[in-house]
Amino acid sequence: MAFLDNSGDIILDAVLTDAGRRRLARGDGTFKIAKFALGDDEINYRLYTPGHASGSAYYDLEILQTPVLEAFTNQTSQMHHRLVTLSRNDFLYLPILELFETTGTTRDSTTNAFLVAVNATTETTSGISTLAGVVYGENTDSTNSTTIRVDQGVDANGNLAVAQLTGDLLETQYQVQMDNRFGTLASANGSAARVSFVDEDNMATYFVSQGSPIVSLITDLTSAGSSINGRRGTRLDLRIKASLNLNGSDTLFTRLGGTSTVATNSVKHIDSVVKVTGVTTGYSIDIPVRYIKI
Amino acid sequence: MASSFKSLASGDATSTRTLLHESIPVTGSIVSGTYGGDATALGSEPHIKTYSHGMFQSVYDYPHLSSSANHIFDITAGIADSSALSSSTTSQVSKKINIYNQMAQVLMGYDETGSVRLFDEDGDIIAGGTKLKECYFVNFSRILTKDEIKKGSFEMQVMTADGFAHGPASGERLIITDFSGSDGYFVNSPAGEYGVLYATSSTDVDAVLSANRRFAVGLLFYQAGVAVLSGSIFSDAADGGILNNSKGTVTFSPAGATVTGFNTITASTNDVMADNLRNRMYNLQFNNTTELNSTIYFCRVNNSEFNYSANPTYLSTSSGGPSEIVIKDGSVGSDPHSYITTVGLYSADNELLAVAKVSEPLKKDPSNELTLRVRLDY
Repeated sequence: MAFLDNSGDIILDAVLTDAGRRRLARGDGTFKIAKFALGDDEINYRLYTPGHASGSAYYDLEILQTPVLEAFTNQTSQMHHRLVTLSRNDFLYLPILELFETTGTTRDSTTNAFLVAVNATTETTSGISTLAGVVYGENTDSTNSTTIRVDQGVDANGNLAVAQLTGDLLETQYQVQMDNRFGTLASANGSAARVSFVDEDNMATYFVSQGSPIVSLITDLTSAGSSINGRRGTRLDLRIKASLNLNGSDTLFTRLGGTSTVATNSVKHIDSVVKVTGVTTGYSIDIPVRYIKI
Repeated sequence: MASSFKSLASGDATSTRTLLHESIPVTGSIVSGTYGGDATALGSEPHIKTYSHGMFQSVYDYPHLSSSANHIFDITAGIADSSALSSSTTSQVSKKINIYNQMAQVLMGYDETGSVRLFDEDGDIIAGGTKLKECYFVNFSRILTKDEIKKGSFEMQVMTADGFAHGPASGERLIITDFSGSDGYFVNSPAGEYGVLYATSSTDVDAVLSANRRFAVGLLFYQAGVAVLSGSIFSDAADGGILNNSKGTVTFSPAGATVTGFNTITASTNDVMADNLRNRMYNLQFNNTTELNSTIYFCRVNNSEFNYSANPTYLSTSSGGPSEIVIKDGSVGSDPHSYITTVGLYSADNELLAVAKVSEPLKKDPSNELTLRVRLDY
């Protein structure tokens, strides 16, 4: 009679993140752990090899051998991808987030990024004012501005008929993270979104829900109505309001950016990323943005 | 309802308190001898830091100008105003009295009249008794003692053979311990708990000590991390100390002084007194204590939870479309599964406050349940 394996009884040591330390130091009771999530940032599921010649024990052998990195304190660099609880086990498809690029919502074709013109001078510069992919960072309600459009849904490459996504997989709330030094989140009509918190790395986090000016249901089920070729869920239409620092000063451009040419105009630029994450399903997309200034 | 968070219920967290102990051995050669050796005069060793005010001396484990050096402890000496030595002291008399008073007021407090209490030999303040009026003070750095010195773990050996200088360690040593500290400490100090330090001999007791017994030779303040050593450990019985008269009072530098043992404080600076103690230190060890307050969060993962992933590689780039789950291999009937590498603890507004990692990926599927115990130390 062999002994039972008791190695599963383990205690994991947690590391406070920068945000955790800050809240703890504040001493105002905001340090309160209310929930947990599980992550799998190191895992590459494409290493899963069903039908391995040596048997099912080998299907995920490479995954299980994945070395796991130590925890560290920067909260924006961890838990990028969370595990998800769904009510059923028979889902073959999961919803994704995709850029929907059509008239007025495309990226700049040269940089494959959205260009945020940080002041009116840049917005109205010849060649830039009408360039596809330019988000107006000062006059965010301008009809000439590009809108960043992200569609959510199940894209089964035609294996599922185009229809409205309903039930568990419909994402109704999103988390949007962006560098607060460069800009703030705005809707397509120019109204500012309310920031939820800004961490010490200047990453601002916004939560936007269906019903706000930014999130809406995709109701157009025509082929041209969305990039999602399958079940269509919700859509984000967002713009970026350039910060006063970028609008009125070149300091950050000098320190963090470079120079380039946009439509024959020499501009200063800073490259950054806007991250959109579905709060329910945890799926995320990183949207490249380039802040430009004449 | 799809979700990537799970709320912690009130029963999913518990607080614990753990005492961690480390053994701190300090060999005498580090304190005196390793750096400098015979070629360097006492007090000039690179790991000894002296100050222009001359009130104490700091001992490091490495030349103190190096950023690698750690502060081990400070040494100073003091005499009470009422000490028989105070009137004959000619060197730094006020500083030595000030040092004694400062240590006494912090460690022993004040009596009902507002006067500073003297260090009591046996800790029984109410009963009066013998007071320690001529003392060495060894103030340990917090890097060594952490939250406190573990009671009953302190041992210091000092060499008592006469004429000792740099070189081989003497076989005649006093062993000073707080042997009863684990169950016989005092709580009548404003600086926390303290125990009485007792001296025995490393060799035949009668050969070194004046009688075959333990002598109370000081106090050890556990939380404050201060050892108060009576000057009597270096004097023979004829000079009011504990050493056997046949051994005589220990010779301190400067050589040839008219008085010996701790009494050289009358003519020596505190730096010289500190040098003398260091030069006689054979060994020092104790266990420190770190009080660890922890909260353990029980992250209970039920069979139906966290079986899918939002990892981009979870979905394929194949003809099945960008939304197809890779590990299902096209079969609706296959159970989903995922691999856990990280546990994130969040605030109510979804800010990541703490992170824990597993040592290897844990497979999660609908056939298993896990309880991950995540400990957060404060």
